[in-house]
Amino acid sequence: MSAFGDAWRRFFAEERDAWVLGLLRLAISALLFFNGLRLILELSNGGYFADYFHIPMLPEAWLPGRSGYQLLLGLQALASLAAFIGWWPREALLTASSLGLYFLTCDRLQYHNNRYALLLLGFLLAFTPCDRSFSLVRGREHTLPRDQRIAPTFARRLFQIQVSLVYLGSTGGKLLDADWRSGLVLFLRFADAPAISAAHGFPLPAWVVGILTSAWFASFAAKAAIASELLIALGIWLPQTRRLSLWLGVIFHVSIEFTARVELFSWLMVASYLAFVVPEVRERRFEFARGNVRAERLARLVALLDWCARFERTPMSSASDGAAFYVTNREGRRASGALGLAQLAEAIPLFFPLWLPLVLYAKLSARPRSPSPSPA
Amino acid sequence: MPRSLLNLSPRLRPLFFCAYLATQLFLLFRAQTSPDLVFGFQMFNASSQLKISLFRKVRRHGRTRVVSVRDGEWQTKDRSGTRHTHRWQDRVRYRNLSTLDQFVHAAYGLDAQLFRLQYALDDFAQHLAGDQETEALIAEVDTRKNGREVGHVRLQADRR
Repeated sequence: MSAFGDAWRRFFAEERDAWVLGLLRLAISALLFFNGLRLILELSNGGYFADYFHIPMLPEAWLPGRSGYQLLLGLQALASLAAFIGWWPREALLTASSLGLYFLTCDRLQYHNNRYALLLLGFLLAFTPCDRSFSLVRGREHTLPRDQRIAPTFARRLFQIQVSLVYLGSTGGKLLDADWRSGLVLFLRFADAPAISAAHGFPLPAWVVGILTSAWFASFAAKAAIASELLIALGIWLPQTRRLSLWLGVIFHVSIEFTARVELFSWLMVASYLAFVVPEVRERRFEFARGNVRAERLARLVALLDWCARFERTPMSSASDGAAFYVTNREGRRASGALGLAQLAEAIPLFFPLWLPLVLYAKLSARPRSPSPSPA
Repeated sequence: MPRSLLNLSPRLRPLFFCAYLATQLFLLFRAQTSPDLVFGFQMFNASSQLKISLFRKVRRHGRTRVVSVRDGEWQTKDRSGTRHTHRWQDRVRYRNLSTLDQFVHAAYGLDAQLFRLQYALDDFAQHLAGDQETEALIAEVDTRKNGREVGHVRLQADRR
């Protein structure tokens, strides 16, 4: 067997822990539900789409009638809910996303990249073992024991490739467009911002308006946006750049969410980053000083927000060391203080935006000292 | 352990993988030649604008004339003398195209909106029940591509 053949077989036989995939299922099925809810609201407020001007990508005869459409929308909503609570979740995901893709081809006017991306990612997730954790219908036993969570995850790779393709498609179009590269497209968008902001009762300070309406800022922002998308698309594949790429992606999407109307896009892309999390769980350790109120509080917070099950939490006797807590990362680096918090932030989704600032703060404020040895 | 029909056998996995990837790449590349970049993931691709002015080509007293459509609305009488009101916005609810006589943002670029406008004209022209005199609908479109005055496009839909 050639080396390529071996790699090919290994790729498709890869079996990993499915814990995080269950979490990803919760996020994607919730987004699918909201996407379907929008269609239901549009139907009840604006009427049946085929009664008005529409551009079907399918033959007109393949479009559902009004009552059929209502029925399918209801089915899609139920399927999204079933996927969320974990009742036949993979089949439900497949149903909800396939119906969504069908609706998208019924009317080209309803096409938006964020909706299409959501439906594709929902479709692919259905082929992963995302039903082995966070099945809410199982109550307290919502997650299977570790040995039963290990399953083939080749579709997770496809999911990751799809995330990359979204960024590559987006950045490719911008790179090939001279108006985008020069910043002209963004300059015109930014130029509208002061008026839009004032119309919403939030007039921008003059210095902000000055920056937003300057050509140099638009040019810089355009190049930064293209570079960011490119780095996210490619950087997430390399272990050395993955963390930075994901952090950049989170900041990128948070800024988009605050400055543009993109429906569920920001939420979707940030949620999709869960597919890039190392599947194995409890490979890091969080030690906290028993009896130390602040450390115990932090331990409770870690227990509450450690959705990806990154940490093994262990209390230490207060006499063991002066530090209130220690965080040991996957590489075995044990740290406390700002660097310890940075190592916490890199693994806890809600704190992840703080990761780079904390690392920088820790590096800048660190005094030369001998590192604490890992007790392991 | 949960069982699912979606647990693909080892033999099916490469097939599924390759078929999905080939489809996505095909759609991604095909989108570059599609006017509205559908399936292409091209976001925020332009800051262009267009202004649509609507006209009707009508036949009155044996002569063909082009008349302006104000606010997207006009009235006609059918053979029995019944008055009919036709409103562009009643049929075309898509926001980018329903606004007439003022510049609006062209989502996904000018080509996308001109492509959709042609469809909208064709569609509206086929839904003018009771209008005996309109022979065609014409859209005169002023376009600004990324802030530059680019020009003027004329689209027409004949009634069949």
